[in-house]
Amino acid sequence: MTMRLSNQMLSRNTLGDLTKVSNQLYNTQRKMSSGKEITKPSDDPFGTTRAVTGRRDLEEINQLQKNVDDASAFQGVTEVALSRITDVVQRARELLVQGASDSNGAAERASIAKEINQLIETAKTEGNASYAGRYIFSGTATTTRPYAVGGTDAYAGDAGNIVRTIGPGVSIPVNVRGADFLGGDPTVTQPDGLLLTTLRDISAHLTGGTAADANALRTTDLQNLDRNLDNITSIRATVGATTNRLETATARLRELQEASSNNLSKVEDADMAKTLTDFSLQQAVYQSALKTGANIVQNSLLDFLR
Amino acid sequence: MTQISTFFGLQQTLRGLLAHQRALDVTGHNITNANTEGYSRQDAVMAAATPYDIEAGLLVDGGGAMLGGGVDIQAFRRIRDGFLDLQYRAQNMKLGEYTGTSDALEQVEQGLSEPGENGIAAQLDKFWSAWSAVANNPENLATRQNLVEQARILSGSIKDLDARVTTIENQVNAEYASVTGPNGDVKSMADEIAKLNGAIKFAVADGDQPNDLYDRRDVLLDKLSSLAQVSVTDLGNGAISVNFGDAATPLVNDATVTWPQTLTNPGGKLGALLQLTAPLVPVPPSTTPGTLESYRADLNAFAKKVADDVNLLHNPGGTGTNFFTYGAPGTEAASLTVNVAATGVRYATGTASGSNDIAIAIAKLRGGAGDQQYQALVARIGSDVRNTDRLESSASTLAGAINDRRQSTSGVSMDEEMTNLIKFQRGYQASARAMNTVDEMLDQLINRTGRVGL
Repeated sequence: MTMRLSNQMLSRNTLGDLTKVSNQLYNTQRKMSSGKEITKPSDDPFGTTRAVTGRRDLEEINQLQKNVDDASAFQGVTEVALSRITDVVQRARELLVQGASDSNGAAERASIAKEINQLIETAKTEGNASYAGRYIFSGTATTTRPYAVGGTDAYAGDAGNIVRTIGPGVSIPVNVRGADFLGGDPTVTQPDGLLLTTLRDISAHLTGGTAADANALRTTDLQNLDRNLDNITSIRATVGATTNRLETATARLRELQEASSNNLSKVEDADMAKTLTDFSLQQAVYQSALKTGANIVQNSLLDFLR
Repeated sequence: MTQISTFFGLQQTLRGLLAHQRALDVTGHNITNANTEGYSRQDAVMAAATPYDIEAGLLVDGGGAMLGGGVDIQAFRRIRDGFLDLQYRAQNMKLGEYTGTSDALEQVEQGLSEPGENGIAAQLDKFWSAWSAVANNPENLATRQNLVEQARILSGSIKDLDARVTTIENQVNAEYASVTGPNGDVKSMADEIAKLNGAIKFAVADGDQPNDLYDRRDVLLDKLSSLAQVSVTDLGNGAISVNFGDAATPLVNDATVTWPQTLTNPGGKLGALLQLTAPLVPVPPSTTPGTLESYRADLNAFAKKVADDVNLLHNPGGTGTNFFTYGAPGTEAASLTVNVAATGVRYATGTASGSNDIAIAIAKLRGGAGDQQYQALVARIGSDVRNTDRLESSASTLAGAINDRRQSTSGVSMDEEMTNLIKFQRGYQASARAMNTVDEMLDQLINRTGRVGL
């Protein structure tokens, strides 16, 4: 059946179709100008939750990267301080071997003892190393100076671990406590056989002058110093391992960041090639709709009657 | 032999002239109303006039006959299909409902500003990062200051969204009140329908057909149908009774208007407005909350969850200071407040300056239940808007299609009216020509007969 067409129908339908096409054009234009496939949740409710999750992941990764950077810097300062303390131990060993030799008299030994005492202060100064205003060997008591240079050898820090989160749900301790290699922990029975007491012993034995002192210099003191060197080396190995782990974490976070950015972009960003194609198609449709609309509405039998 | 009046032909052609003149009038009426809203085209129904009955003696064998007397206008017909009106109003009611709903929900959606840099999700991300920053630098008061600022921004964003929902609810309530109020659309349309009922009844009693009054009444019914479900009963005398939504008494009955009345589930736009703002009754859960209220409930649950989770870690055992505070159930989002200053932020259970266990634990809440509740709310609002948009557009298409069919029946077509114009003009001319012929014939008889030899 042929439908009877009234004038209102023609104009209304033409207008309705034009509105529809221009709405599509508007949406496509919004996509193009914002570069986003999703500009509001109703564009794609599921995609929106994915976009929100994607942004959260990215923010988390950025924050984790900051955590890792902080932890790495902490490790760097620790490593420098430990390497200096290693130098101290090696210098002390040279002096000890020299002082233990029978060819030295009391005066020479006293001057060697003086240098050993200087080395003790150097070790304590390194033990007070700080990063960004925090004492790094002080446990979690980061605002307390762990060793009193020129004073007693007591460790003033605490036993706490400084923890940084370096991955989703992954937290690692990043600090080394001075009490673990320099010694002087008041909660441990003294002497604890760690670096400071060992150096103090050596200094005492050098100035003691008895046969027992000389014997101790050659035997127990040398053994103790070697043990401390081993201890520090092993602590440095741990720090090195942590640094490696942080580097791995950084690399992994970079990959995650790239993947998350890609995912977010896939969900959220407009496919420009497709959007542009859609746009020119819709524009063509709109123009032809305008043209036909103008013709349909204009023409009637009226035009042909005299 | 029965005689027929000499002037019979004049009378007959006169009828032709008059009938065509009336038909031209109707055509003119149609043309002028081509763009009038709700106008139904009219049609002058022509029929052969009652024949002149000659009982006997007309024919050669003495038999009678019926002699055609010309043409008469039988009626001015209004061309309209009442069934299409019913269909249109049912669809228009749905369109009104979905349009009302989607207008309000789209405003909520805009308030979310998701996905983006300014939404609550982004503020929440930054809030958790601020805790991480405190964990990295617990000795520094500035990081805690930044955390407190970020927490205030977050609670401010949550409050803003809640306030936006409230504003939209107020707008919706105000719109309902204004449409249904004493000077509102419902009342004024009902009054006009009642007035038209009176005029139509009067005309019908006189035997007239008040086509244009019917049209005006139908337009009003169409408009009412977008507000709520409308059902019409014909009272038989031209007047109608109109039931509106689920109101107990007919809105209009003949000339009586009963308004205001209580509506609970009227359908149409008013139904949508009521449904949007239906209050949430938490204990006992006796009614389904309106859409906007259920959003608010979700927002409250989210605010409470985030605050509780943070507080639990910030203030283990509950003896210290909570990080967030909030008010009575149902107002959590609106009353979410940061309860601590930078110096009061607890970032570790111990007192050591470098420990950060609490800050680390709170930073780990990122992506947890609170985040997910908010995400679910965003997804829910998104799907609701998408659904109502889709329903709105399909109702609009259907209403448009039915309206097209109605227009196809009742609408004025210029081409058709132009054709009619020519047709009736020619009919008028031909009738005049016929009359002219009779006139010439009579001239022959009267002026030239019996003058032989003059």
